[in-house]
Formats: sequence, C-alpha cells, structure tokens
Amino acid sequence: MEVVNPRSALLSNYEVLTLLRELEADHLTRSKAMQRIKKEEEANGTLVPGHNTTVVETSENLRTVEVEAIQYLGADYLPTSGQTAEGITKMVKALEPYELTKAEKLQIVNLAPTTPVELYVIVEELEDRLGDRMDELTERIQEIQGAPAPVPQVNGIEEPKAEEGVTSWSNPAAEGFGEDEDAAYDEEMFDDAGEGAGVEGDLDVEDD
Amino acid sequence: MFCLSIIKDKIPIHPQHFSISPEQTITAELNKKYSNRVLHDVGLCICVFDLSEVGEGKVRYGDGFLWYEVTFRMVVFRPFESEVVIARVKSSDEDGIRLTMDFFDDIYIPSIYLPQPSAFDPNERAHFWLPNSPLASTTELLDSPTSERMYIDQGEVMRVRVEQDEFVDDEPGPAKVVEGVVQEKTRGRAPYTVVCSIAEQGLGPVAWWNGAQVVEEGDEGEAMEEG
Repeated sequence: MEVVNPRSALLSNYEVLTLLRELEADHLTRSKAMQRIKKEEEANGTLVPGHNTTVVETSENLRTVEVEAIQYLGADYLPTSGQTAEGITKMVKALEPYELTKAEKLQIVNLAPTTPVELYVIVEELEDRLGDRMDELTERIQEIQGAPAPVPQVNGIEEPKAEEGVTSWSNPAAEGFGEDEDAAYDEEMFDDAGEGAGVEGDLDVEDD
Repeated sequence: MFCLSIIKDKIPIHPQHFSISPEQTITAELNKKYSNRVLHDVGLCICVFDLSEVGEGKVRYGDGFLWYEVTFRMVVFRPFESEVVIARVKSSDEDGIRLTMDFFDDIYIPSIYLPQPSAFDPNERAHFWLPNSPLASTTELLDSPTSERMYIDQGEVMRVRVEQDEFVDDEPGPAKVVEGVVQEKTRGRAPYTVVCSIAEQGLGPVAWWNGAQVVEEGDEGEAMEEG
C-alpha cells in the first residue's frame, strides 16, 4: 500500500452523506437480490451453502461506518440532511464576494451558520474583514439554506426550492431515494470540470 | 471534516468472484480492507470514492487469485486544525470531556481547553462553567450556587474547534502468558485521537449560544431557536 496524496481534495458533509446514502441503497437492493437467489436455489434444491458467485457481499466494517456516519450526518443538529446540490452551488457562489478562504467556505457549507456567533467562530477576524457585511452574509446563508427562518421571506425563486428539498429529505420513507437525488449526485460527484458545481472542485484551487 | 486521499494498492480477487465485474469486486475488496480503519497519518477511512486506475489482473505463482494494481480515491475522516465541528458529549471525567460523532468517538476536550473558570462536579459527573466569575480554585468553584453553573451534560450537542490530532501506531507485541494461560489482549491506545477546544466565545454546547442569541436579538432569533 502506498499513500499517494493523503489530502487531494476536501469533501463537504453533504457529498459524503449523499455517497453513503447511495451505498446504503445499493446494499439494500443487493441483499434483496441475494435473498431472492437463495430462495430460488433452495426451491430448486441446488443451494450450495457458503457459496455465492453472482453478488458481492458488503463487508461488516463498511456497513458499520456507513450506518453510523449516516446517523451522524443526518442528525437534526446538522444542516446536512436538508441540503441540496443546487443549494450548495448557490451558497458557494453567494460566498464569493466575501473573500473567504476555502476552509472557511467549506465550514460555512457544512454548518450553515445562521447567527453571528456561529459565523464568528468559523471566520477569523470576522469584524475586520467583513465589517457591516456580516449580517448580510448570515441573512444570505439563511435564505439559501432554507432553514426554519425566523421570518418567512418569499422574495426569490430559491426559497420554495430549498423548502422542497427539506421536505423530501425529512421523509425517510423508501421513496426518499428518488430520481431527484440521483440526478443531484451525478452532477455533484462526477462533474469535476465545473469548478463552481461542487465544493470539492472549488477547493482544489490553490489558496493564497 | 472529510477529504479524499489517493491510495495505491495491490488487491487479490478470489476466483469465486470472477463472474462479477472487476470494478465491483475490487471496490468491495478495498472497502473490506480499509473501511472503518485508521490509516496512520491519513485518518479514518470511510469508504472508496472511486477507482482512478486499475491495472491488468495478474495471476501469481502459488494461488489462483487475480492481483490488480489499483489507484483509488478514499473518503477519509480527518478534520483539519482549527476546523469547527459539531459533536455530542459521550462522557466526562476529571481530566476532561469525551465527545462522539457516532462513527468516531476518540475526540477529547482536555480540561485546559475548557472555558475558564470551570470545574468538574463529581456528583453530577459533569463539568460546569461559571461565566464572569472571579473564583479560581476548584474548591471555591464547587461551593458556588448550583443555579449559576452552566453544566455540560452527557449527550449535549457541542460546537468545538479542532486543536490537534494524534496518531499512535502501537506494535501488537507478543501474547502475554500468566501461569501458562494466554491473557486476552487489552485494548491499547486509540490509533487516532482528535483534541478539541471549547475555550472560546461561541464554542461549547450549542444551546448556550442559541440562548444568548435570543437575548441579543429578541424575537427575531427566538422563533428559530425554539423550532
């Protein structure tokens, strides 16, 4: 084993959560297929115990970390489960004029700070760098995040969209993994060329 | 919090899996080998992100396995220094607080990184902070009225700043034998620990600062915090 690059890019919590949820869904369909094959073989009397050639088994370790990480990232004290790929793209674009570093942007995306206190912790020397634009920034984050905003502002197209994302995520039924989700994943994960599309691509750029 | 690491490795594939596409079996093998394990100086591996390069499968003398040389990207948990993360309190003792993130729970706040003045209350098994107090010694702090203390209870959601992380690579060593009986190995030090701090404005239990917000901004923040 050789580690070529221990930190080639940073990932946002949302990207990890999407990837893990996809793996989980994958695992479920696979284990269902496995059971079906088993049943068929049993019925035909051709079952060979401990022998399985058509389906890859998911390792115990992966299952453990997968379930636990989904539990953490999907918890209600993190904004991740209410986020969408479009929302994050919009957020990163909205953060551009504030001249934040990559790490600060990543943390803002991960934690979606909606109060000045939270922002103060993330951004160094917040007052000197942003001054009066601080409130403006928290307002924009709140708007894009679509978190339970104190005053419902219906002044943009993004507002209902974000809300939609929230409701679809907060419903953990089997339907939760709709086509919607997959589409978002595709865009986010594989479109490395689009710098603005994912936080990952954005963070690759050298910081000065 | 998470990052991608590029790793190169040689992976054997058992002949019973030859009927499945190599991409699937290689990913499964890599996950089996790395998932939920700590790589020294890299971090805690979560899962394979993608395979970037896979060589030709080769059969070596001695076994029927196909050996693939693979370069792949791994999702790794490794918060960077000074990153702000959210975690819950797992337990507290005299030395500090232990936090958990469900999938990773070797996160510690030593007592020097607690907001001052603070002390450990052995009755409650929890640390508490006395904001704006002139008291300094532990005995004085423990005499303070309970209503003024701000406790950090178990299970509380905390916002913490990562100060440093440490990897240890303990050799397993020979099995211990006492009077001819092989002793069960005790769990050694954790291979990867993260040290965090809450000694700063805005850090600590999330509820502390949400409460402060309500006072500062009146009704504006209230609706949100209560939700």
